[in-house]
Amino acid sequence: MYEVLEDFAQTNGLRQTNPGLKLFIGLASILLCVSSPGPVAPLLVAAAMSVAILTLAKIPARFYARLLLIPVSFAVMSIAVILFITPGGAVLFEVPGLPLAITTGSANLAVLLLARVFGGMCSLYFIALTTPMAEVFDILRKLRVPAVFIDLAMLTYRFIFILIEEAGQIYRSQVMRLGYGRFRESVQSSGMLAGALFLRTWESGEALVLAMDARGYDGKLGIPGEARTVSFPALAAALLYISAVLGVSLSTGGLAPV
Amino acid sequence: MHIMEGFLPSPWWEIWFIVSLPFIIVGLYQVNKLVQEKREALPLLAVAGAFVFVLSSLKLPSFNGSCSHPTGTGLGAILFGPFIAAVLGLIVLVFQAVFLAHGGITTLGANVFSMGIAGPAVAYLIYKAGTRVGANTYATIFAAAALADLTTYVVTSVQLALAFPGTTGFLGAFSAFAAIFAITQIPLAIVEGAVIALVFKYIVQLKPEILTRLNLLSESTITKLREAAA
Repeated sequence: MYEVLEDFAQTNGLRQTNPGLKLFIGLASILLCVSSPGPVAPLLVAAAMSVAILTLAKIPARFYARLLLIPVSFAVMSIAVILFITPGGAVLFEVPGLPLAITTGSANLAVLLLARVFGGMCSLYFIALTTPMAEVFDILRKLRVPAVFIDLAMLTYRFIFILIEEAGQIYRSQVMRLGYGRFRESVQSSGMLAGALFLRTWESGEALVLAMDARGYDGKLGIPGEARTVSFPALAAALLYISAVLGVSLSTGGLAPV
Repeated sequence: MHIMEGFLPSPWWEIWFIVSLPFIIVGLYQVNKLVQEKREALPLLAVAGAFVFVLSSLKLPSFNGSCSHPTGTGLGAILFGPFIAAVLGLIVLVFQAVFLAHGGITTLGANVFSMGIAGPAVAYLIYKAGTRVGANTYATIFAAAALADLTTYVVTSVQLALAFPGTTGFLGAFSAFAAIFAITQIPLAIVEGAVIALVFKYIVQLKPEILTRLNLLSESTITKLREAAA
């Protein structure tokens, strides 16, 4: 899954667009979603981001749909709580025998939150699917984030891919040997997996130190940054999109008055 | 359990950013000092960060069959101390947000506080207290990792209840959020504690020099633990 996301980030239709502009569009969309008082603007953001992902970046629709399903469980659990404890408005639904009720106020809040979460998720995927991590690091460096933080983040990023590969191999061989048959065994196997993984990565970390020293590592990693100019039509379209969403956000309140 | 992008309204997401910031600054300062003193520390920190990421995207066995994930930051805190664990937590959370839309950018402050600061701090304190009174090493690590996981979920419930107090007020909202998360998180915390304790057991048996070099366990403790296992 992770490799696939990075593959798309490297090969998508918006690959040649200036990474700063893409990051700016994504982050501005997220802020617009969070600050919008009504659910219309976040839904507009979700639609615009999805259209950009599907038509401009040319990400397959089926893959994108599967990505959107991943974070659903947390949303459902938390929205359920909010649905029942938020006050205000007429009662729409009551649980018999318990002081729990869904009101228009709580339904409004739940719809607003779902819209914000949805819009935010689409914006995050817009960044993840169009901008390779290496370019994000380059931007962070230009923003004067401490070098040690960027180096640490870059190395962590590299190790994540190695580790996931190894964890998958260990997991598959454990499953083939019936390592997850019973609950007790599955705890034992998980511990074995995590332990073996930790030791192996620690050793590869030590090997990396040697390799970096051998190549003259002096405490700073170089990032090859390539300058791509912001094209005027792209910038204009981005600003138009952001001001349109802002306008919608300011002119629409909640769906129904509380 | 991360709070999703867009879930925390203003001003709460800004508040949690401000709360988390000092811990991150101290953590960065410590990382910088550590790397200046020992250059080989940087890849090892990166390995620990990647380990936390992978561990927290593993599905651990759960009693009720739900697929929840552990936090994994307890181990980082025991190895490197709570402030450096906060920096590792921040990096992991940024990657999870940007890769998986798990967590988010505006909720980053809140998530860093629950998973990167509160949980590791509890793990670290329990580990220190346990080693001081000379409790069983594996029992201490089990308690540290399990309670770090639980703390993370309690803090998340507090964050949600503060932002959405509802009719029932803060306490009522807190118990509602805590109850619904408890279904998955309490069994998970126990499993995470057991798994992290097993990880330590493997380290002690196979590569104990990692622990002695970080001044976590003395040579004599390790000899004792290995003899007990043999």
